[in-house]
Amino acid sequence: MAVYERAWRPYAGAVTPVRGRFLVVTRYALAEAFSSRLFTAFYAACFLPSLLGLFLIYISHNLGLLEQLGLTRELMGGLTLTFFRILFLWQAVPAFFLMAILAPSLIAPDLANSALPLYLSRPIDRRDYVLGKLAVLFLVVSPPTWVMGLALFLLQASEEGAGWGLRNWRIALAYVVGHLVWIVVISLLGLAISAWVRFRPAALGALFALLFVLSAFGSAINGITGTSIGDVAHLIRAIASVVQHLFGAPTSSGMPVLVNWCTLAAVALLSVLVLYRKLRAHEVVR
Amino acid sequence: MTRSQKVAPAVVELDGLSVRLGGRPVLSELRATLGGHAIGLLGPNGAGKTTLLRTLLDFFRPCAGGARVLGHEITGDGKELRALIGYMPENDAFIAGQTAVRFVRLMGELSGMPARAALERAHEVLFYVGLGEARYRKVGTFSTGMKQMVKLAQSLVHGPRLLMLDEPTNGLDPPARSRMLELIRDIRDRGETHILLSSHLLADVESVCDEVLILKQGRVADCCNLAEQRRANRSFVELELTRPTPGFSDGLAELGCEVALAGDRRLKLVMPASVTVRDLFQVAAQHRAAIRRLDCKRDSLQDIFLRAMEDDHGGV
Repeated sequence: MAVYERAWRPYAGAVTPVRGRFLVVTRYALAEAFSSRLFTAFYAACFLPSLLGLFLIYISHNLGLLEQLGLTRELMGGLTLTFFRILFLWQAVPAFFLMAILAPSLIAPDLANSALPLYLSRPIDRRDYVLGKLAVLFLVVSPPTWVMGLALFLLQASEEGAGWGLRNWRIALAYVVGHLVWIVVISLLGLAISAWVRFRPAALGALFALLFVLSAFGSAINGITGTSIGDVAHLIRAIASVVQHLFGAPTSSGMPVLVNWCTLAAVALLSVLVLYRKLRAHEVVR
Repeated sequence: MTRSQKVAPAVVELDGLSVRLGGRPVLSELRATLGGHAIGLLGPNGAGKTTLLRTLLDFFRPCAGGARVLGHEITGDGKELRALIGYMPENDAFIAGQTAVRFVRLMGELSGMPARAALERAHEVLFYVGLGEARYRKVGTFSTGMKQMVKLAQSLVHGPRLLMLDEPTNGLDPPARSRMLELIRDIRDRGETHILLSSHLLADVESVCDEVLILKQGRVADCCNLAEQRRANRSFVELELTRPTPGFSDGLAELGCEVALAGDRRLKLVMPASVTVRDLFQVAAQHRAAIRRLDCKRDSLQDIFLRAMEDDHGGV
């Protein structure tokens, strides 16, 4: 029907499957995020550590270039595990900033403009809504982190050959599991804080404050008691220790790795609880 | 008063529905069967109209009883039910940073429309509600009246079977209010979408609805079929003559009217459907009777509402 007719008719066409409906939320939020040139530029910059890693892997297998630089192939080979651990860190830090910028902008504006009744009066529920928003963070943060890391690992394995990939399987595991844990915990925390604060700049500040204040609090407890008990609240150290453990390296936390896993699980569960409490079509005033 | 009768499949069935919010009862034991094409929810502020709409959308869980909308249980078939409903909330509600066409398209896609169809329909409904020229403007920059219209557009985009409108004329100036009511009546007259209109403005409800549920302090105060009421009211007439005129009442009786004398100059009649007011004047002319006053009895929604609001002691 032509728009100039200014009439309205019921819709009788095809309907998309309900199961994948949350991806509509994801698609629109992704488009919204990348409508900012600054964000797109920063996102492109997040690939730089991986591109640098790619370059290093390339030169480490270019014997002619190594000779010109006065390096031996054995030296680069010996640095493999350290190289991948450093690369992980270089990927994780920009990824954190990516999530810290993106997560508060996903939920806070919807709550501030009372958009939730509009979403939830459609055939989607709160779980679909959160899943849709989480999928945005997962899709944005995955390529510059574990996807690139895994690609570099496979490249290195193919260049080295002779069972290198099998001998160093922990690197691949650490990249996938480590980054996924990092993404899930920080994403849930970011979404929960923005659902609580409802104001994007304040949510961004609160996320940084919570991470660094909690970590400082944990360090202070350690300093006062002379033990490692404060590491229970030290979120950054908990994530670092889990990743170090996945790489098979000694951990920086004084607490067992299981405790670090529990800290991360507790933060994730608490975030889910906050999201469940705060994301309602209408707030009930008691 | 004619009570609501179940002549068509019920749109909303309330079966002892009770809702508690924040520990206090907001809706108590609501029982009604509403089958009208345009149903009004009337009541003073705080009567529970908005809570009832939100409960029907499964935003709030009933603490007792239940309800069915278009044959679907509100608690069990949430997603299926919401696919059939278009909801226009009372307060400002939009998605930040989006243009009107993008916003309406998103709402269409969330209701299950493919992206291309949703875009096409978004343009159509925005033209329909009169926002065609403003469809590429961000919703956040709209005036109150435009925001109301874009909320109506998003509730219509997927062609719902039931349109829930919560105070749709809130904050509108007279021309915009008139335009909004005109649109709602147009949707009603197309006959494919039921309307559930919540308002505290009697005139809005009266001009749109054919059935009304009146709420008071979370309870059903009355439920009446306005369409039948209007039809019935047309046949009751009160007449006052300037002087007693014997034979006039006999003339009216010959027309088929039931006549009752209320004094020597006053008559009350029930006219059969075939008799019009013009016929009464013709009989009066034949009998040289001068009619001083003629009242068609009109039990207005205001009368019904005020009766429903009367407390046990007769006060409002």
